[in-house]
Amino acid sequence: MKNINIIYPFTGIVGQETMKKALILNIINPLLGGVLIRGEKGTAKSTAVRALADLLPSRSQVEGCPFGCDPREPANMCSDCLEKYENKETFVEVFGRMKVVDLPVSATEDRVVGTLDIEHAIKKGEKKFEPGILAQANRNILYVDEVNLLDDHIVDVLLDSAAMGVNTIEREGVSFFHPSRFILVGTMNPEEGDLRPQLLDRFGMVVDVIGERNPDQRIDVIKNRLAYEKDKEAFANLFTADQQDLRDRILKAKKLLEKVSYGDEMLEMAVKISIALDVDGHRADIAMIKTAMTIAAFKGQTEVAPADMQEAAELVLPHRLRRTPFEEGIYNFDQVEQIINAVGSAQDVVV
Amino acid sequence: MNKKTLKHIGHQDKPAYRFPFVAVMGQEMVKKALLLNLVNPLIGGVLLAGEKGTAKSTLVRNLGQIAPDMEVVDLPLNATEDRVIGSIDIEKTISQGKRAFGSGILKKAHGNILYIDEVNLLSEHIVNSILEVAASGVNHIEREGISFEHPARFVLIGTMNPEEGFLRSQFLDRFGLYVAVEGSKNPVERKEIVKRRLAFEHHTASFIKTWEGDTEMLKNQIKEARKNLGAVKISETVFKLTADIVNEAYCAGNRAELVMIETARALAALAGRQNINIDDIKEAAQLVLPHRKREKPNDPQESQPDDQNDEEPEEQPEENQEEDQNDSDKEDEADSGEDSADQTEPEASESPDDTDADDTDVDDSDKEESELPQQPELSEILDQIDAIGRTFMIKNLNIKAVDRKKRKGEGKRLKTKTDTKKGQYIKSAIPRNTINDLAFDATLRAAAPYQRVREDNGLALIIKTEDLREKLREKRTGSTIVFVVDASGSMGAKKRMETVKGAAVSLLTDAYQKRDRVGLVSFRKKDAEVLLNITRSVDMAEKCLRDLPTGGKTPLAAGLQKGYEVIKNEQRKNQDLLPILVLVSDGRTNAALREGDPFTEALEMGKRIAGEGVQTIVVDTEVDFIKLGLAKKLAVAMGARYYRIEDLEADVLAEAVRDLSKESSF
Repeated sequence: MKNINIIYPFTGIVGQETMKKALILNIINPLLGGVLIRGEKGTAKSTAVRALADLLPSRSQVEGCPFGCDPREPANMCSDCLEKYENKETFVEVFGRMKVVDLPVSATEDRVVGTLDIEHAIKKGEKKFEPGILAQANRNILYVDEVNLLDDHIVDVLLDSAAMGVNTIEREGVSFFHPSRFILVGTMNPEEGDLRPQLLDRFGMVVDVIGERNPDQRIDVIKNRLAYEKDKEAFANLFTADQQDLRDRILKAKKLLEKVSYGDEMLEMAVKISIALDVDGHRADIAMIKTAMTIAAFKGQTEVAPADMQEAAELVLPHRLRRTPFEEGIYNFDQVEQIINAVGSAQDVVV
Repeated sequence: MNKKTLKHIGHQDKPAYRFPFVAVMGQEMVKKALLLNLVNPLIGGVLLAGEKGTAKSTLVRNLGQIAPDMEVVDLPLNATEDRVIGSIDIEKTISQGKRAFGSGILKKAHGNILYIDEVNLLSEHIVNSILEVAASGVNHIEREGISFEHPARFVLIGTMNPEEGFLRSQFLDRFGLYVAVEGSKNPVERKEIVKRRLAFEHHTASFIKTWEGDTEMLKNQIKEARKNLGAVKISETVFKLTADIVNEAYCAGNRAELVMIETARALAALAGRQNINIDDIKEAAQLVLPHRKREKPNDPQESQPDDQNDEEPEEQPEENQEEDQNDSDKEDEADSGEDSADQTEPEASESPDDTDADDTDVDDSDKEESELPQQPELSEILDQIDAIGRTFMIKNLNIKAVDRKKRKGEGKRLKTKTDTKKGQYIKSAIPRNTINDLAFDATLRAAAPYQRVREDNGLALIIKTEDLREKLREKRTGSTIVFVVDASGSMGAKKRMETVKGAAVSLLTDAYQKRDRVGLVSFRKKDAEVLLNITRSVDMAEKCLRDLPTGGKTPLAAGLQKGYEVIKNEQRKNQDLLPILVLVSDGRTNAALREGDPFTEALEMGKRIAGEGVQTIVVDTEVDFIKLGLAKKLAVAMGARYYRIEDLEADVLAEAVRDLSKESSF
């Protein structure tokens, strides 16, 4: 019982490569818009998300700020920090690790958005804002298990914050706003019903997971799980090196990301794919390029290649295709490939 | 964790770090509509409806950047009533010992822009408060011992995705202008959009700097236009032309003319002219009419011309149907209190001759089936898959199942106030019995004025029982609707299945918007089949429907039975379920589960389902020359509400808007 808190190592998860990739990409670039993982029960969805905790990089934050503001990023500061920043006050900087913040399906609205601090009100007779989950989630990962079962009014709140990066509270006598920029990670079992399109669209990418079909891998899955349950610490130790490797790769990619560029033909591909597949709005184009850039960085390249575009399209498009039956979770990306090849070869001729 | 003391903040956010309004590519109509409102706030705002990810919110939220003296005040969806209209100021009240007013969002919005994102999801209750204030320009507060009023004139801007439902027409009319927003289809433009977004994300400060000049220019342009506005003359011709155009569009009321003239004035002012020209009027019409335009009233399309030869006069089914509606509405009305007065017709009077008529019809049908055996058989052998026909907006059917326990009090159709702790807190009330859901903020407000006179017990605040308030919550209660669709061979004829599929998809869409869950059962050949178990995915239901083949016999009773089974299974999982069974059929049947007459069996099955407390709706698909009225008869037996397929459609106004939201062309 001594090592009850040791989580399953991310690198110990067998298979499910797309899901793992999607999660890692979001850590590298928090602006990718999160990921929704859909799949049947027992496909390591939650395990993978929780395992992220061990991989998350640490980052600088303002000491004592309940929203963990970045001392160098005035654009996303809470009003207090911003005031200090603009008055050229110095911040006490601390380093803290990014966290996985849970949003349970049963959470009440006041806990999610924050509410009136009752204790303070009774003792002091003053109104004070008590931050909720959306405050904790700022600059962290917000994880919603069974996201499709979330109450509608909570979804609305989530949408608003996810869209604007700000949580605005006008309720229970409280008027307040604070930054709430988070990586939204959801898991769900599609058998239990679907997400509203509006919320679906907020996820940068969607991954559909199915149980491993390969018998050898299936055996590995079971072996690993049993080993983990028998002795968590020993099992985790087996992956210490792998975990460190991955952490290093993520950090390296984060640095490299700033240098990654994309050619005009990549932009052309993104736009043509979106138009051909008739997706709503422009979010898909933007997400595709950003994801491709992050993929390139993870691979150690400084230039987006057509292959990265293909990979990005497969992550970014599934939930944006209009009126697609998504019960099978299998998509035909031939059309995407064709466009990528067509644009790519046209460019070759020009070059 | 360090907690922060509360602050009242004028600006929602520091605009200095936001995406520049002028850097938004394309969306010229949207920009124009917003600019016009800045030039002339009398226009009364704009509603932007369109697909996701088209910079709707980005434009509105950053409108403050180019407004000379206005800011954007955000009304979040989960705002509670006290914060919207204003309420007692707790701190002041405690310290001064007398009630002081603390202003709400509407006060802040005065002279500014009130912005509601996802406006179609806003609580009905809050909508009503806003409507009242928007109409009078004054916010009148009578609550918690406070009597106060202040002017509240604002430019109302809403954005919404029509997939999630629409606004009721009264609210719709409050928005001066309407723009349907669509993404750009131009690759060059799209590329530029992506580039700018990425540039903004990576080099925020320098990106904003590059657009400063343009922002300033636009701001000045608006200032100039405002100065011009007073000088713009409105000629008699303009009045006449406007009236003619509005007349042509069959708008209700006079707001359309007023808004159109104000818009045309702003257009002229923006162009630096002192007279309004034809193009101004045309452009204004494009913005003002989309959500107000209606089809010509008294459209004779409704009645069916081929009914002339029928023995029965056309009014009879009409009348029956209305009464049916009244009957079933009655249950709802008892709860919701909406126009329950108009039930004057004695119910008994119609039933005798009605059943007579139906009896003869049944005879007819039997005859027909025995006389013409080949025709149905041909279609029964061949399976075919029909496309989904025309879809439309479903009118208000009141198909919410009635749950008497929860729905006492002021139940609304779409949203129900719930007793449980779930749902969104919208306002507070004095508790009726024991409190299990304390509204602390309201309790505090109630206690505040008495703090000076109450005995000190060491705490800053003394709360007594009489101060206690509880939360009133609102929850969108979706029903569970099982569609039982006739897919037999007879439906394949004359594109009938297309119409049926179109209607079913429309019903499904409606169900989605009302947060209902749906299941789908079809019956054809020898048996009924569950195409889709209860789900919230309308997309999946639609796909099943699209692929649904028609052909074979018509085992109606089997369909009903299967539909009921689906409901029963679901009820085992969730006892609070409010089940509704929607039968889409013409009532004809020629395959029984057991021995005996298929129709009698279906009637029996229907009665049994009704006996189990399942609410039912029958959608009659009969379009034949000679009406048999079987579905109607079945509906009577089941105590179901009865609609003919063509009766499902919503009023023309909503329909017009819906069409417009799909295609932005005017």
